Amino acid sequence: MDEATNTPKALKTPKALGTPKGNVTDPFENQKEDSEENKKQGQENADQKEEEKDSTGGEHSGPLEPVEIPEDPHPTLEKLSDDIERCISSLPTPNEKDENQQEEKENANDEAKDTKGDENDGKDTKDDKEEEDVKDEKGEKEEEKGEKDAKEGEKNDKEEKDVKDENKDDEKAADQDEKELGDKDAKDEKEAEKVVEKEKDLVPDELLKLIDKFLTWVDDICCEGRCRWGTVPQDDEVFLEAVDLMAKMRESLLSVCSMGLKFQERHGGLINRLSSIQHRAMAYLEEEFRILLEESKTESDHHHSTAADHNHNHNHNHNSNKDSSSGNKGKNDQESQPESESESNKEGVVEFPGFPEEVVSNLNKIATKMISAGYESECCEVYIISRRHAFDENLHKLGLEKHSIDDVQKMHWEALEREIMLWVKAFKQCSQFYFSGERQLAESVFPEPVLSEQTPIWSCLFSNLSRGVMIQLLNFAEGIAMSKRAAEKLFKTLDMYEAVKEMLPKIDELFPGECARELKTETTTVLNRLGEAAILIFCDLENSIKAETGRNPVPGGAVHPLTRYTMNYLRYACEYKETLELVFKEHTKIERSDSTSRPDGRDDYDASDTSFEIPDDESPFAVQLARVMDLLDSNLEGKAKLYKDVALSSIFMMNNGRYILQKIKGSPEINACMGDKWCRKRSTELRQYHKNYQRETWSRLLSFLSHEGLSNHGKVSKPVLKERFKSFNAMFDEIHKTQSTWVVSDEQLQSELRVSISAVVIPAYRSFLGRFSQTLDPGRQTEKYIKFQPEDIETYIDELFDGNPSTSIFRKKP
Amino acid sequence: MGATDNQNSFLNRISIRRNQVVSMEGTHDQELEDLEHFQKHVADRFLDLLSPPEDYPSDPFLSIAWIRKLLDVFLCCEAEFKAVVLMGRDPTQITKPPLDRLVPEFLDRVVKALDICNAVSSGVESVRHFQKLAEIAVSALEQRPIGDGQVRRAKKALNSLVTAMAIEDKEGQTTKATERTWSFGRRTGVSAPNKDRAAGHFRALSWGMSKGWSSAKQIQAMSMNLVAPRGNETSSLVQPVYIMSTIMLFVMWILVTAVPCQERTGLMTHFQVPRNLVWAQSLIGLQDKIAEEWKKKEKKCAAGLLEELQKMEKLGQSLIEFADNFQFPAEAERLEEVAAQVAELAEICKRMEEGLLPLQQQIRELFHRAVRSRTEVLEVLDQGGKGTPPMM
Repeated sequence: MDEATNTPKALKTPKALGTPKGNVTDPFENQKEDSEENKKQGQENADQKEEEKDSTGGEHSGPLEPVEIPEDPHPTLEKLSDDIERCISSLPTPNEKDENQQEEKENANDEAKDTKGDENDGKDTKDDKEEEDVKDEKGEKEEEKGEKDAKEGEKNDKEEKDVKDENKDDEKAADQDEKELGDKDAKDEKEAEKVVEKEKDLVPDELLKLIDKFLTWVDDICCEGRCRWGTVPQDDEVFLEAVDLMAKMRESLLSVCSMGLKFQERHGGLINRLSSIQHRAMAYLEEEFRILLEESKTESDHHHSTAADHNHNHNHNHNSNKDSSSGNKGKNDQESQPESESESNKEGVVEFPGFPEEVVSNLNKIATKMISAGYESECCEVYIISRRHAFDENLHKLGLEKHSIDDVQKMHWEALEREIMLWVKAFKQCSQFYFSGERQLAESVFPEPVLSEQTPIWSCLFSNLSRGVMIQLLNFAEGIAMSKRAAEKLFKTLDMYEAVKEMLPKIDELFPGECARELKTETTTVLNRLGEAAILIFCDLENSIKAETGRNPVPGGAVHPLTRYTMNYLRYACEYKETLELVFKEHTKIERSDSTSRPDGRDDYDASDTSFEIPDDESPFAVQLARVMDLLDSNLEGKAKLYKDVALSSIFMMNNGRYILQKIKGSPEINACMGDKWCRKRSTELRQYHKNYQRETWSRLLSFLSHEGLSNHGKVSKPVLKERFKSFNAMFDEIHKTQSTWVVSDEQLQSELRVSISAVVIPAYRSFLGRFSQTLDPGRQTEKYIKFQPEDIETYIDELFDGNPSTSIFRKKP
Repeated sequence: MGATDNQNSFLNRISIRRNQVVSMEGTHDQELEDLEHFQKHVADRFLDLLSPPEDYPSDPFLSIAWIRKLLDVFLCCEAEFKAVVLMGRDPTQITKPPLDRLVPEFLDRVVKALDICNAVSSGVESVRHFQKLAEIAVSALEQRPIGDGQVRRAKKALNSLVTAMAIEDKEGQTTKATERTWSFGRRTGVSAPNKDRAAGHFRALSWGMSKGWSSAKQIQAMSMNLVAPRGNETSSLVQPVYIMSTIMLFVMWILVTAVPCQERTGLMTHFQVPRNLVWAQSLIGLQDKIAEEWKKKEKKCAAGLLEELQKMEKLGQSLIEFADNFQFPAEAERLEEVAAQVAELAEICKRMEEGLLPLQQQIRELFHRAVRSRTEVLEVLDQGGKGTPPMM
C-alpha cells in the first residue's frame, strides 16, 4: 500500500525539484528502498528493527561515500530529512544545555568512557534504528566520540537516569494497552531512545555527512531555477520543512558548541556553512514571496478593472459573494477564464486585491516561515513595498494622477473637474473595496502574534500602507478645498464631500486602532474643509447677486440673465439638497462669523427673514436659500426701475417672477425648501404686477371707449366720436407697435396676458362699435374712423409680447 | 518650552490691548512695539538653534531631535505672526498696497510650503525604510557566532540601504531608477539560474509627489519676489509678512536638505537671506553651516544632511567593507571593531525609531496649521472687501 502511493510521488519529486544531475535509473532504485523504508517506519517495532538494519545499511552507504553524493540526486529527501531530524533531536537541546552545562563542564572526567560502554550495552537491548545508525558511526569514529563523550558522559548519565525513570512510567502505561496503541508506543520509545543516544555521541560523523548532503540539496534549490512556488505544493512543503530542519540543526550544533571550545573548532565550519545556506534559503523565500505578490497581482487586475464599473450593482451582493467566492476561487483560477463574464466580475469586485486562495496560503506559509526564522523585517519590507506599488498602480489604473497642491491651484477647471470625478470614483472604491481587501490580504498572509497583547504584524503593515494612501488622497481634496472659490466648483466639491463623508463611519472598522484614530482626524479635517468651502461657494452666490449692478435694462422686459443663472444654479444645487442641508448644519460656523462681519448685509436679511416666517427647525440651508431669493428679488426690483415705461417694468417683474416660480415648482427639492406659503405669496405678487400692467396700458385706451361724454341730450356728438375713434386707433396702434416687441416667453403667461387684455378690450370695443358705428356715415367716413373690427383687435392682441419688432398696423395695411 | 509661554502671554497682551484701543491712530506705537517684539523673538529662537545655551544639553546639529526643535520654533513664530498681522486688525489694512500684493504672494508661498511638507513627509517615510534595512543589518551582525550567513544577510540589507540612499539622491530620476532596479530583479528571478538571483533588490518607495515635481524648483518659486522691506515699509505690516515668508522658506529649505527629497538640483543657489538684516543673523549663520555641510555631501552623495542619515551611510559603507572582506572565522579583533560599529548603528536606529514618527506627525501638524492660517488670512482679505468678481 505504501509503495503504491509513495512511488509516484517519489518519482516526481526529484524532477520537480529540478536537480539537473538527476539520473533516471538510480533514483528509481533508491526510491524503492526509500518507500520500503517508509513502510518500515509505519510498521511495528519488532519488525522495524530488523528491516531497518538492512535498509540503513543500504541507504546510508551512499551518503557516507563522498563520491556518490553528486550522483545521488536526493532521491530520499524525506528520508534524509528524517534521518537528520532523528540525529539532531538526539543532540542535547538548549534547555538541557542550560540546566546542565555548568555541571557537566566541571564534572567531566575519565570515567565517562566507562559509562559510555555501559550505556551501549543497555542500549543494545532496545529496538531502535537510530541507535543502529549511531553505532555504525561509532565504530568508525571511535576516537572523536571518546573525546566528546568524555565531556558529556557524566551529565548524560544523570539525564539518562531521569529520562529512564520517565520512560519506565511510560512503558508501564504503554504495557497496559500495548497492542492497541502500537503507534503511540513506538513514539514513546523512540523518544526515550533518542535521549539515551545523546550520551553516545554529540555530532556523529554520519550526521555531518547527512547535513552536508542536505545543505547541498537546499543550496541547489535556492540557486538553480526551480519551479515557481506553488506549482508543486509537495516540493514547497519539503522546502519549508527543510528550513525548519536547518533551524533545528543550527540550534543543536550551537548548543553542542557551547559545551566547549573544541566543539566550536570542530563544527564552526559546518555552522558557518549552515548559516550561509540558511540565509540563501531565506533570500530564496523572500524572492518567491515577492514574485508571488507581484505576479499573482497582475493576473487579478484584469478581473478587477472590469469589475470596477459594476461595483454599484453588486454592492448588495458583496457579502454573499465573499462567502461563495472563497470556495470557488481556486477552481476559477485553474479553469478557463471565459466562463461567464458577470461571474468573474462579481468576484473581482469582492476579491480585491485578487489573489487566488492558494497564493494567499502560500504567502502565509512563506511569511510564517520567514518570521519564525527571524527574517520578519525582510518579509515586511518586501510586502509593504510590493503592496504599496500595487495600490499605487491600481489608483493609477483608475486614472488617478498625483497632483501637487500647488498644481491644483493652477489647473484649469475643466481639467480639474475630470480629476475630481476620477478622484471621487477612486476614493469610493478605496472605502468600499480596496482597503478592506488590502486588510484581508494582510491578515491572511501574516500569522497572528505569539502573544496576544502584541500588535499583529499585519496591523502595522496595513496601517502604514493605508495611512500613506489615505493621506495622499486627502491631500488632493485639501488642494481642491483651498482652491480659488468659484460658483461652478460647488457641485464637484459636494461630490467630494459626499465621498469623504461616506468614508468616515467606515474608518473604525477598516483600520486598526491608532491608524484609525489618526485617519479619522485627517478625514474629518478634510471633510470640514470641503464643507466650509462648499458653504463659502454657495454663499458667494449672494455676493454675485449683489455684485450684479448692470444699468442696462433687458430689452422687452424679458427674464434677466441673473434670474436664469441664479435659478438654474439653485436647481442644480438642490439636487444636492440633502448634502447641502448637512453641510450647512455641520459647518455653519464659518458662515455665521461671515454674516456677522457684514453688518450692512445683515440688515436686509432681518427684514426678509421675518417676512418668510422661517420656522425654528428650518435648516440653515433653507434660510440661506430664502436669503438668496430675497436678494434676487430686491436686485430685480432695482432693475425694474431702469425701465421708463411702468407697464414694461411690470412685465419685467412678471416675467422674472414667473420664471422663478416655475423653476421652484419644477424642482420638488427647492419647492419643499421654500414652502407653499412662499409660492402663494409669490403668485399674489405676480397678480399685482399683472393688474398694474393692465391699468397702466389699457385703462387709458378703454377710456376712449367710454359712452360717457359722447351724447348730448340723447344726440351723439359726431366730432367727439370721430376724435374718440381717431385716438383709440392711434393708441391701439402705438400699444401694438410697442408691446409686440416686448417679450413674454412663458407661453402660459403670454396667453393669460392676451386673454385678460382681450377680455376687457374686445367687449368694450364691440359695445362701443355697436352703439356708435351707425352714427358715422357709411362709406368713406366709416372707413376712415373704424379701422378695426373686434376680430382684428383680437388678432392684434395676439401679436403682443412676441418680441417681434413691428411697424404700425396702418402702414402694414395696404 | 520657554518660547511657548512667551507666546501665550504675548497673544493675551495683544488681544487685550487691541480690544481696549479703539482709535486707529493710537495703535501705531503699539504696533511698532509688537513688530519689534516679533523680530526679537524670531532672532532669539533661531539663535538657540544655532548656538544652544551652554548649560543646556543640546541635540546634534541637523539631528532628528534638532529638526523637531526647528519645527517647534517655526510653529511658535507662525502663531506670533498671526497675532501680529491678524488679531483685532482692521481688515482693510492688509488689502491696501503694497500688502494687497504681498499678502497673496505670501499665501502662495504657503501653498508651495504645503507641497514641500508632503514631499518631506514621504522623504521621512523613505528614511524609515532605511532604518528597517539598517535594523536587519544590526540584527544579523549582532548574532553570534558570526558566519557567512549573517554577514551576507547584513550585506544584502546594507547594499539595499546604500543603493536606496543613492537612488533617492539621483535627482529627478527616483522613479526611473527604482523601476530599473525592480525590473532587473524580477527578470533574473524568472529566468537566469543566477547564483545571486536573490541577492536582493529592496525596491525603494517613490510615492508622494507627481512626476516632474522638484523640491528645488519649489524652493526657488517660494523665494521669488521675496524682497526685504525698505524705508517706511520696515515699520509696517510689510515687515512681519517678509519675516514670516523668510522663515517659512528657510525651514522648508532645511527640511529639503535634511531628508531625501525629489529633485534637489540647484537647491543651494535658490535661497539667499540678505546679510544686513539684524533679526536674520542666526538664520544666516545656520544657512552658512548647512551650505558647508551640503558641499561636503556632494562628494559623499548622502541621501540628506540629517545627522542620523549621514552616520548611517558612513557606518553602512564601513560594514559593507567588512562584509566584503569577511572570511570565516572572523578575527576577534575585527569583530570587536565591528561590534562597536553595529552598536552605533543600532543606536541610530533607535533614535530613528523614537524620532521619525513624531517628526512626521509634526510635519503634518505644520501642514494643517499652514492651511488654517491661510484660510484665516483669506477670510480677512475677503472682509477687507476686495469684492467678489462678477459672475457673468
